[in-house]
Amino acid sequence: MELKKLNKSVLKLWYIRATIVSLALISAFTSLIIVLAASGAPKNVLFAVSLGSGIPVALLLAFIIVLPVLRYKMYAWGYDDKRIIVKQGVIFRRRVVIPVCQIQDLHRIQGPIMMMLKLSGVTISTAGSNFDISTLTTEEADRMIDVLEQSLEVRIEELKNEEI
Amino acid sequence: MKKFDKGYIYSGLLSDLFGTLVILFVFLKDFFFNEESKPEDIKAALPVFAIAFTVIYLCFAVYRILYYRTSGYELTEKEIKCNRGVFFRKRSVLSYKKIHAINKKQNLFHRVFGIAVLTVDSGSTNTSRQAEITIIEKAKTIDSLINELNSLKENGVRDISDLNEEILISEDDSLYNFTSKKKMLYTFINIVSTAFFTALFGVLAITVIGICKLTLKLDTLGTWGQYFLFSVLITAGAMLLFSVFSFIGCMIHSFIGYHEFTITKRGNDIQISFGLLERHTNTFSYDRIKAVKISQGLVQRMLGFASIKLEVIGYTGDQENNSNAELGVLVPFCKYDEVSEILGKVLPDYIPDTKQTKAVSYFPFVSWFMLILCIVIGLILAETAAILMIFDVNVFVISITALAVTGVGIVIFAFKAASAALSYQTNGIALNNGKITAYSGGFTKNITVFMAKNLIATENVTTPLRKKTGISSYVLHLKTNALSNEVRIHIQKDEFSKEIEKLLIL
Repeated sequence: MELKKLNKSVLKLWYIRATIVSLALISAFTSLIIVLAASGAPKNVLFAVSLGSGIPVALLLAFIIVLPVLRYKMYAWGYDDKRIIVKQGVIFRRRVVIPVCQIQDLHRIQGPIMMMLKLSGVTISTAGSNFDISTLTTEEADRMIDVLEQSLEVRIEELKNEEI
Repeated sequence: MKKFDKGYIYSGLLSDLFGTLVILFVFLKDFFFNEESKPEDIKAALPVFAIAFTVIYLCFAVYRILYYRTSGYELTEKEIKCNRGVFFRKRSVLSYKKIHAINKKQNLFHRVFGIAVLTVDSGSTNTSRQAEITIIEKAKTIDSLINELNSLKENGVRDISDLNEEILISEDDSLYNFTSKKKMLYTFINIVSTAFFTALFGVLAITVIGICKLTLKLDTLGTWGQYFLFSVLITAGAMLLFSVFSFIGCMIHSFIGYHEFTITKRGNDIQISFGLLERHTNTFSYDRIKAVKISQGLVQRMLGFASIKLEVIGYTGDQENNSNAELGVLVPFCKYDEVSEILGKVLPDYIPDTKQTKAVSYFPFVSWFMLILCIVIGLILAETAAILMIFDVNVFVISITALAVTGVGIVIFAFKAASAALSYQTNGIALNNGKITAYSGGFTKNITVFMAKNLIATENVTTPLRKKTGISSYVLHLKTNALSNEVRIHIQKDEFSKEIEKLLIL
């Protein structure tokens, strides 16, 4: 089975999310420093707090900025009439195999930013666990759900016949 | 005619004892607790009350024994017969076809002695206040009688060949006995676990407070000798306190929660009954079992004990709320060596197989954890040192703080290393004719046995370096009531993941 890469606009979505988180972090850090300065804290306290919280914030920011590119590079997904395969993970690389016949229900999820970018997340529910296919274009997600529904019906019939 | 179970006498005597005490208390409380009563009067009256109590109690006891001797029941070909009564003897005959309602009752005293009362009613207005038939038997026997009477209600005739057959399933038929000895051991192991973790926590607390005493010069803690003496005493006290609570909790849990724990098998059905205050009788079909999980906590593992739990759709710890699913108990406590024997009797298809694979290497269990821990500890050390320097703290205190942070890091790593060593020893998998036995866990060892048909999805987890050396971890997703049910088997040969994928029903 040939695995597909995610659409480029998914990277855009992840970067928008990363920017929002980064801005929140920077705002929290800046607010802390401003409050301390305004309350007349001694210079060494101000310096100590900046150092103590600044380094973790800087590291987190670096992580948030680098992660989407790596994640995008490593993500791959695909499906045929019998199984769905998802490969993901930057350091710990996971390869998940979900048989089509085990699907209980399929969900398409969209948030406000996803709607703007015409993207959708797909959740595959089974009798055991839920699996997420990170983000697809809405068109791809709809097509995937339709195809999987059809494949599921066919597979269930085939398995019933095999049992008989 | 078959007599009622002797448990009737014992439960009756126990309830009468309470009843008599309550009666005496109600009538005599004004005498004993009256401010005007003189101690010498009370002293003089005590033998009279003791005699009165004995006489009343003896009357009850005689009545119970006579009731037992004069009562009984019989299932004939077409009807059920019952004799009862001491002063007013009553003989009731009820045709199976006329059975209207069958009820089982069990009060607290009945439960203590494992008996139950079965009442069979014809719905006649003549007997509207009292059922025609009353049978007092072992709870298990009552259950079998209910089943039999239900089928006789439909058929109307009892097979003659059954007449000489013992229809009762006694408690001794249980496929597993949670004996008092086992319950005590179970309680003891829980106490040991609690005491162990309390002691561990105490040692860590003593070390941390000791460092604080040294660096912050806390004179309130006294001299070093006083400090250690007090801290050891406090730790011992805490251990004792937690052990007592653990003992009480565990006693209640094992003796009351698991009172009369029985497992019986009838055809394709398995029935598990337990509990004193709240009696659980769970019956489920063999086919509905999704997995069997054998767990061993650290102390259980050291002493060679285990517990067996079941993953069955519909049979969970919380029967009324299946969405909040948890594993159901099959065997609360047994010797690890007995597991195969017990499963052989109850669930022969779920006997765990010996591991076919084992963890390839020890280092991957700790490598990433060690790297992340080193980065975090390094960062904390650098930041703390820098901040302390900003505040012009002397070098000695900075060194001690750095040592304390490093010490905490070493303790955390030691825990991880010990857990990894156990994981290295435990993790593995066995595939045998569509049966999967997964060995997983660190401090707590889990053996999960399930059929390949219940495997929902597989996951292969690896890193670039591990991939090069042919190492990966597997995550197996099973059918379950819960939102997610995964078994993780770490650091195995990558090639084996293909074998597991082949087991998926595509």
